[in-house]
Amino acid sequence: MIKRIIVISLMLSALLYAETKSENIKENKKENIYEHNCIPCHRYLPSSLGDMYMRYLKTFSGEMTLKAALKAFLKEPLEQTSVMSNLFIDRFSVKDKTLLNDKQLDEAINIYWDLYNVRNKLK
Amino acid sequence: MLALKNKDINLLRSSEKSSLLRFLALYTVLATMILLLLGIFYYKSQEELMFSNERIKLSSYANEQVKELKLLHHYFPSRTEYPRSYNFNSAIYDIERVKIFSTLKNSEVNFDKEIYRSGDKIHFVKYLDDYYLGAKYLFLEIAEDKEWYSKTITNIIILGILTLVIMAIFGLFFVHILLRPMKNSIMLLDNFIKDTTHELNTPITAILANVEMMDTNVMIEKNKKKLHRINIAAKTVSHLYQDLTFLTLNHNQQSKDEWIDLKKLFEDRVEYFTILAGSKKVTFYLDLNYSAIYIDIIKMTRVIDNLISNAIKYNKRLGAITIILRKEYFIVKDTGIGIEASKVSAIFERYSRFNNSEGGFGIGLNIVKSIIDEYGLKISVESVLGEGTDIRVEFLKASIGNGDSND
Repeated sequence: MIKRIIVISLMLSALLYAETKSENIKENKKENIYEHNCIPCHRYLPSSLGDMYMRYLKTFSGEMTLKAALKAFLKEPLEQTSVMSNLFIDRFSVKDKTLLNDKQLDEAINIYWDLYNVRNKLK
Repeated sequence: MLALKNKDINLLRSSEKSSLLRFLALYTVLATMILLLLGIFYYKSQEELMFSNERIKLSSYANEQVKELKLLHHYFPSRTEYPRSYNFNSAIYDIERVKIFSTLKNSEVNFDKEIYRSGDKIHFVKYLDDYYLGAKYLFLEIAEDKEWYSKTITNIIILGILTLVIMAIFGLFFVHILLRPMKNSIMLLDNFIKDTTHELNTPITAILANVEMMDTNVMIEKNKKKLHRINIAAKTVSHLYQDLTFLTLNHNQQSKDEWIDLKKLFEDRVEYFTILAGSKKVTFYLDLNYSAIYIDIIKMTRVIDNLISNAIKYNKRLGAITIILRKEYFIVKDTGIGIEASKVSAIFERYSRFNNSEGGFGIGLNIVKSIIDEYGLKISVESVLGEGTDIRVEFLKASIGNGDSND
């Protein structure tokens, strides 16, 4: 009897642990959609995401314009629409199309905008 | 001299006066509008001149600021301090006209003008080709130098007054040109009357003297009537002659003022006009109290004669004339044809006549008014068409005697 109770308890604990872990993964995935989908690739590039943000800002100026341009590029990356230099593109080529849907893309871009927004940092 | 004299020959009729006033009002409005427009143009040109001077300076400041923004963009986010200067304040806005950062004192900005005044500041906008820090619009702000403003306003006031004076001189010149034909026609009429009057004197005097001298006792009744008619006609002409003489010769002569007994004068003049009134069977009703006034007797006689003469002339047959004399005023009341209310104000104008059935030049009441005005008296007319006219003359308190006083 004691043996059975121990086995059931262990099984229940294992089940609870598995459920909690899967929820955490989901949450982290949601929170870090930008980190999970953008940082891993850009980590290996010589131009940081911050530098690229400043390039976008210098080219598109306004929040709506920038976000729209970035989204369009991520969905359909072209050499002509890239803000990076020819040298950079020759060296690393243009990225592949994003696998994120529109909602996820908007979420990632918003996180990116908020992260590097100059308005909050200027003194 | 107790009575106040105010010699004012009223050459212009009310309709001519109102035309003249309308012309002057139109001229004044036009002159003011032209001056206002010139003032606005001058002010705008001075403002533009000031802007062009400031634009050079602000362009140079803007170039400096762009360089600083470029550096900050390059080093961002390791450097985050917005570039500031002692010479100006600035702000940057993105392409969507959203503020990125601002040190402006006056935060009201205009994206559509390159340079403009905002309160006591001048704003200058530079449109950036490279959007450093996302900035499409760079606003620079400096304090406005008010010297140009005070200089401009002073110039506008001085030049405005000078132009107004010049335009007033032109206006007077135009008015003279406008009035010349009117004055010429009045002068022509005056000269005609003057010449005619000169020729009337001798025959009238001769007729009146001979009528007075004729012995009516030896005349048959028919001839008496004829002589009576001659006497009335001669007196009518004589009255007209005296009016014309007064108008053309005596009006500008020095007055000989003295205390006159108005009651006696009225009685004399009523007696003089009795024959004339009798021709229309008009009856006089006199209610005369004692009153004395310090005035030229010839002029006062002209006033009374003209009022009585008109009262007879425009009366009905079998009508009445009531004369009331009190210490401070007199009233001549008739039961005549009356005058329309709208025309009452014009009865004192020279050559004004409202009834063509009766003769005359339309100068009698103009003479009355000129004498009344000369002595500062007050005349008022109340008339009902078809019922009659009341003319009231009030004396100045200063010119009224107490009954015992003599000059």
